[in-house]
Amino acid sequence: MNVLAGIPQDFLGGTFYILRENYPLYIEGVKYTLLIATLGTLFGLLLSLFLTALRIQETSNKDGLKERFIKRFFVMISSSYVEFFRGTPMMVQAMIFFYGFARMGLRMPIIIAGLVVVSLNTAAYLTEVLRAGINGIDKGQMEAARAIGLSRAKALRYVIFPQALKNMLPAIGNELVVNIKDTAVLSVIGVSELFYMGKSVAGTYYRYTEAFVLVALVYLVIVIIMTRLLSFIVKKVNHKEVHLPMSQSIPIEVN
Amino acid sequence: MTILRTNQIVKSFDGVTVLHDISVGFEAGTVTSIIGPSGSGKSTFLRTLNQLEEIESGSVFFYDEDITKKASDLNHLRTKIGMVFQSFHLFNNMSVLENCTIGQIKVLKRTPIEAKEHALLYLKKVGMAAFANRNASQLSGGQKQRVAIARMLSMDPDILLFDEPTSSLDPEMVGEVLDVMKQIMNEDLTCIVVTHEMDFAKEVSDRILFMDQGRIALDGSVEEVFNDANNVRIAQFLHRMR
Repeated sequence: MNVLAGIPQDFLGGTFYILRENYPLYIEGVKYTLLIATLGTLFGLLLSLFLTALRIQETSNKDGLKERFIKRFFVMISSSYVEFFRGTPMMVQAMIFFYGFARMGLRMPIIIAGLVVVSLNTAAYLTEVLRAGINGIDKGQMEAARAIGLSRAKALRYVIFPQALKNMLPAIGNELVVNIKDTAVLSVIGVSELFYMGKSVAGTYYRYTEAFVLVALVYLVIVIIMTRLLSFIVKKVNHKEVHLPMSQSIPIEVN
Repeated sequence: MTILRTNQIVKSFDGVTVLHDISVGFEAGTVTSIIGPSGSGKSTFLRTLNQLEEIESGSVFFYDEDITKKASDLNHLRTKIGMVFQSFHLFNNMSVLENCTIGQIKVLKRTPIEAKEHALLYLKKVGMAAFANRNASQLSGGQKQRVAIARMLSMDPDILLFDEPTSSLDPEMVGEVLDVMKQIMNEDLTCIVVTHEMDFAKEVSDRILFMDQGRIALDGSVEEVFNDANNVRIAQFLHRMR
């Protein structure tokens, strides 16, 4: 049967026809897009905590040559990682990652490959965000934590990271939204996310505009819903803290 | 018995020496106030005592242990040397109670129930038990500093360091913090206080150290230091503080 026979020639008619006939494919695409974007952001965030901990090493007078070398090495690994993933397009990383491993005889499921690439990429961006977030926290927080005997690692875990994460919540949300859109590039390795599905529908009918206008609308709806949801969460988290009006705590000199 | 002792400590920042060969000891059960002009090295000196500032040379002994040695367990030692900061530094992500229990649970390995009971004991002492579940950001400056004192006491330290504890406070809040400090000092605890509150220093101290340009210029009892008419620097300093 000729699939092109039943499709109306006008734009609107064609669009509705494609939607009616192919909505399960779009839904399938949305499923993968959301799955990869949310899990990728989550795993990327966890990896970024680790990379940031490597990055913000502090040297002490007591450190021997060996400790200094190890600390430098950790900083170098973390910063090279960030440089690489921020300095190359995700599409290229996906190609290298998927085909590179395949060449070594390790053929992983496409969706896993896609998820790994998004996670690695997100980690690089969030490491920078987290580092800035930590720099923005009063140095006294770390000092007070060390003064009651917490190790540096425990101070980061219980005092610094929770505050930095709270501050960077909007940035994590942004990253999630970016990931929802950027998963489109994973179509190059054949991940059947929304863009890939749009391409296959468009190819079926030779109606690219209609198929991709639908793709765009679906992206837009997801992103709008996600953005609203995230700002609701951010508001909720920040709401707990009630700042009562109070006078300046540093005495002001009066003549 | 000497709890804390420094031996010829030297500290510099970017090539500028701020502490010159300071050797001094602190006896158990005494209150020592460190006074002196801004930039004389008082706070830096205090911070070397728990190694928040590393020193270039010299040693700091806690009882007989040199805490500047690499092998010393600084995290454990810091639980014994409590510190209160000028800007309070309560952990912003925690409630008042959590501020006072985190160190007990994670460093002293007390159970959460033990830690809570212990923390409440000290929060009560500083008059902040009713605020246990509040977030640190909801408190006034004086309240924050009282919680910071309870946080320090909850760790059961052997010696207490106060780094200008009232300098960031509104004048009407200074009194409530000083009252709490006086109460602690009446309990025979060993305290070292960097302060600009001269009346307070006179009232509570067993000993005064006057620091000037990175050195201990005078070391003696309240009467000896405040009445040293021969020392031009302290006379100038006290005149300015009036």
